[in-house]
Amino acid sequence: MMAITAIIIITSAFVAPVKITVKGSDTMVILAQRWAEIYMKKNPEAAIQVTGGGSGVGIAALINGTTDIANSSRPIKTTEVEKLKARYNTLGVEVPCAKDGITVFLHESNKIQQLTLQQLSDIYKAKVTNWKQLGGEDAPIKLYGRENNSGTYVFFKEEVIKGDYAASCQTLPGTAAVVNAVKKDKYGIGYGGAAYAEGVKHCKVSLKTGSAGVLPTPETIANNQYPITRYLYLYLRTRPAGDLKKYIDWILSAEGQKVVTEVGYFPVK
Amino acid sequence: MVYHDLCRKKKRVILQFLEIVSFSALTLLYAKGQEPVDTIQENLAAMDGKLNSLDERVALQESELGKLAKIKVSGYIQAQFQAYQSGSLKTDKDPKNTFFIRRARIKFTYEALDGVKFVLQPDFSTGNLSLKDAYAVASLPKLPSLSLWAGQFNRPNYEVEYSSSQREVLERSRVILNVYPGEREVGARLEFNPVKIPLKLQFAVLNGNFTGNQQKDVDTRKDVMARATYSLKLTGAGIGIDFGAHAYTGGLMAKNRYLLDYENNMDSTESNAGSYLLKQWGGLEVQVFYDFLGGMALKGEYLAGKNAFAGDSESNPNKIKSFSGYYIYLIKNIGIRNQLVGRFDNFDPNTRLSGNAAGNDIYYNTLTLAWQHYLNDNIRFSVSYEMPQNEKNTANPDDISDNIFSVRMQARF
Repeated sequence: MMAITAIIIITSAFVAPVKITVKGSDTMVILAQRWAEIYMKKNPEAAIQVTGGGSGVGIAALINGTTDIANSSRPIKTTEVEKLKARYNTLGVEVPCAKDGITVFLHESNKIQQLTLQQLSDIYKAKVTNWKQLGGEDAPIKLYGRENNSGTYVFFKEEVIKGDYAASCQTLPGTAAVVNAVKKDKYGIGYGGAAYAEGVKHCKVSLKTGSAGVLPTPETIANNQYPITRYLYLYLRTRPAGDLKKYIDWILSAEGQKVVTEVGYFPVK
Repeated sequence: MVYHDLCRKKKRVILQFLEIVSFSALTLLYAKGQEPVDTIQENLAAMDGKLNSLDERVALQESELGKLAKIKVSGYIQAQFQAYQSGSLKTDKDPKNTFFIRRARIKFTYEALDGVKFVLQPDFSTGNLSLKDAYAVASLPKLPSLSLWAGQFNRPNYEVEYSSSQREVLERSRVILNVYPGEREVGARLEFNPVKIPLKLQFAVLNGNFTGNQQKDVDTRKDVMARATYSLKLTGAGIGIDFGAHAYTGGLMAKNRYLLDYENNMDSTESNAGSYLLKQWGGLEVQVFYDFLGGMALKGEYLAGKNAFAGDSESNPNKIKSFSGYYIYLIKNIGIRNQLVGRFDNFDPNTRLSGNAAGNDIYYNTLTLAWQHYLNDNIRFSVSYEMPQNEKNTANPDDISDNIFSVRMQARF
């Protein structure tokens, strides 16, 4: 009996804790932290470390080998895939893990209820600079956006603005900061993940002039009716195996996807 | 990143300052509740003035730092030890091994605007101070997929463009070293790289006489080079296949009448002087990446055609040659830090002649085995053993003992 106990003690001493590092998208940081907390409770041997920094930072860390998982709120770029090819001889593995609608935030007192994608583009390119031009008050539009290492910044630039941001756009670290800025600025406009939008007005978005504006709701995002819908991704260097695979499988399970809904995003399964 | 961190720090300082102001105001209200409201308002106004002044200073510094953030400095140093077999030495008094700096480069990139950048890259390796890259790239805001390059840049070819800081074997294959000496060229280049389609088209107009040192064109005609590549992705299988082709056409003006033709016969016809000697070849390439127990890759390229070389006298005549060559890499990643590599390459500098008729235009088959170890993202150790085997004839009756053993430490920043 003593021998068995000794074997168990010695064996357990050699069982290394499962350490997984996760880095990247600030949009996904709350979601990733919730996943990690719940998973570590269920699997005490697991140690999952989650940090933000932005999608670009996460993917750069994946390429230089300092993270196991990169969270990204935009698809990986061709240039980043080329770096993975050069360093690891793989294309990387993309795991869509949640869906999100990029919400356009306005101050609660703003009369504007709806904007088209073209109007949003014109606003962020500074072609439209006064709310009066859109049917609102005679006041200058104050632009708030994310920093350029953010996947949300890149997605909004490529899918909505389709050009460069105006130099007057004030960049802020994280969607929470954008929401906070718009909350305090009567003439502000911002954008970010739906999960952070409290104390600001959600603006309806329409594809073009004349078409009905759509609010980002679970239904409109799930069925792609809301025009600014995107996937959130996990990126890995190679196909997952062992503990990493177990964790990814759990994220995609019903339990992991339930966390997606709780945090304010939309499940992929 | 440093710039953003500084901005964040400054914003934090402002917030802390605001907190102090608020706290001071509340303390004043509490402690001096009996004082006239005017005094408190004056104090607040004074604080507000100081805050505004601080805000202006931060905005000014942000603007200055924004300019610096457009400049990126990167580079790498490759410190190397090499040991040679006797056949690699010019004389028997030459050292059989040496330490040297293979490459020491600093790359300055200035991104003036989105899609507009300037690149300058000098090299400070042992016995060499040269300018590697010096070019400007600009793309139209309405068509960001299309970019125009001008200056001195890499020729559009897979192994040429694949940076030596990433390449799995220490030196490029023999065919590429011979066909694209110095890797770079001076000229202009158009590159079409659409975001949604995995296609890349490159078209370049070049002087056509670059061999490692900068110089102007030696004739009026320009050489033209084009390359097209396409990437296939079999996501479920973890396989990526990149394939493509490139072509080169141009010429070299003979400055004198002495010409060694394709069969190594001397032609001294007077009309040779001033004639254009043909440089024309094509290449096919493929790179297969497979996510199998970590990554692995199989890469290959085949080139064949006619090349020309300038001469200056009867003893060193102009030359025209038909050549062919290829290389094949097999690379296996072991975990995230190690790579095992084997490369086989072939180069025949004169395909029209073989055996004794070839003289010193003999072909080479080279097998290189290498191991890479990444200590981290900045430091890489490489060990390589290169085993060339030459064609045998009366001029070269045996396989020359010219194997090379190399150890390299690379620091990249």
